[in-house]
Amino acid sequence: MNPRPIILLLVLLALPFGAASAATAEAEKHLQAAVGEVLAAGDAARDNESLVASLRPILQRHISFDTMTRRAVGPGWRQFAADQQQQAARLFTTLIIRTYAGKFTPGEHATIKFNPATEPAPGRIEVPTTLVYKGSKYSVIYRLEEAEGWKITDVVIEGVSMVANYRAQFDAEFKKGGASAVVGALNQSVEHPK
Amino acid sequence: MKSRTSFSLFLAVALFATGCATAPVKPSTPAPSPAPANSPKAAVAVADGKSVKSADDDLDEYDADLVADPLEPLNRATFWLNHGLYMFVFKPISKTYEAIIPKPVRTGIHNAFENVKFPVRVVNDGLQGNFKRAGLETGRFLVNTTAGVGGIGRPADHIPTLADVPAGDTGQTFAKWGIGHGAYLVLPILGPSSLRDTVGLAGDYALNPVSWVTIWYGGYAWTLAIPSTNTLRAMPDQLGIYEAATKNALDRYLAARASYIQYRRKVASK
Repeated sequence: MNPRPIILLLVLLALPFGAASAATAEAEKHLQAAVGEVLAAGDAARDNESLVASLRPILQRHISFDTMTRRAVGPGWRQFAADQQQQAARLFTTLIIRTYAGKFTPGEHATIKFNPATEPAPGRIEVPTTLVYKGSKYSVIYRLEEAEGWKITDVVIEGVSMVANYRAQFDAEFKKGGASAVVGALNQSVEHPK
Repeated sequence: MKSRTSFSLFLAVALFATGCATAPVKPSTPAPSPAPANSPKAAVAVADGKSVKSADDDLDEYDADLVADPLEPLNRATFWLNHGLYMFVFKPISKTYEAIIPKPVRTGIHNAFENVKFPVRVVNDGLQGNFKRAGLETGRFLVNTTAGVGGIGRPADHIPTLADVPAGDTGQTFAKWGIGHGAYLVLPILGPSSLRDTVGLAGDYALNPVSWVTIWYGGYAWTLAIPSTNTLRAMPDQLGIYEAATKNALDRYLAARASYIQYRRKVASK
């Protein structure tokens, strides 16, 4: 059976009928502003380093890096001491910004089409977009959650979630040596980019 | 597609109205609570280093194990061999190709090879029982082959109904038939795959006219030119995807595995 109608059905069942629109519109407005800022920075950047620098404050305003870090680590997060949590979040923020900036080539302009948002759960919005970049089309889904305004909690490019990509890696490190192994591996990646 | 969506909507409303809507929403979705996971209160609790149950209900949202990998040691060895090959052999070749051949020519070559893969897409659309898509795919092929001069151009991109026809492949057909990955498998040179998708690749190979040249006229030196060009034209994209997926990783192997499985899940959902 084609799983798509079933997924759609679940999504539709999760929607509190009619109530979604106001929150959705609010989140979409936030996202469009954020994406606009990112694209402007992308267009202005001369090289990758200057792009990383100009993107950092923008992304920090619009992305909930704490949420991303917690979910990428998983249940093991409870065993992180407060300073380890802060360190992990700080290092992961740098990695995510680098990864995100790495997807831009200076001089290439991206165009983004926003598609209608869905609300998979209360306080959570998913905005599917179509990105046209260097002659190819990509599906990019932004996941947003409400916490002191709408914040991005994941970016899913062609089905590949940024958070899920790190989840297995953090899990492996955590099984090896707990929180300190995760922080150590993060430090290694930030200090010695591969 | 539109009719399917509206059918689902109808079904959803019908279920809702008759009170049978007991289907659980994604189990990882947290129930609405007065203190959402990332509310300021939760953030304070986390900063204090104390775990508050309601604050980290969402910790298990993402799966750490997306696929069975019983052959991990072998896969890792193949992965690192491939990595060396990609970085020290393929990348210089790919860069040279990009430097010598101007972009419009490269795009034309790329388009033509993609266009000629039409049997891979249309046969799999048929095997999936998706005859509407097979029809659209055929329309796309005809427009691109004629107006696009042998598929060098993609005029079908400007026809709204033909612009976005998801490409079918054999692994996708297996997925739609309900067959799982079995186990993750890293193939020499070709990279991330699975037991299911390796069989799928064999199907794609057999359905690709580019391979028919080799199969029918093998032994003639000129036949090497076509598959080689096909490999070469795909290289820049493939290497780009590989680097984007594994750059900034803590463990490139795990990053590539997670990316591959998620990407194939997306393809199977199309």
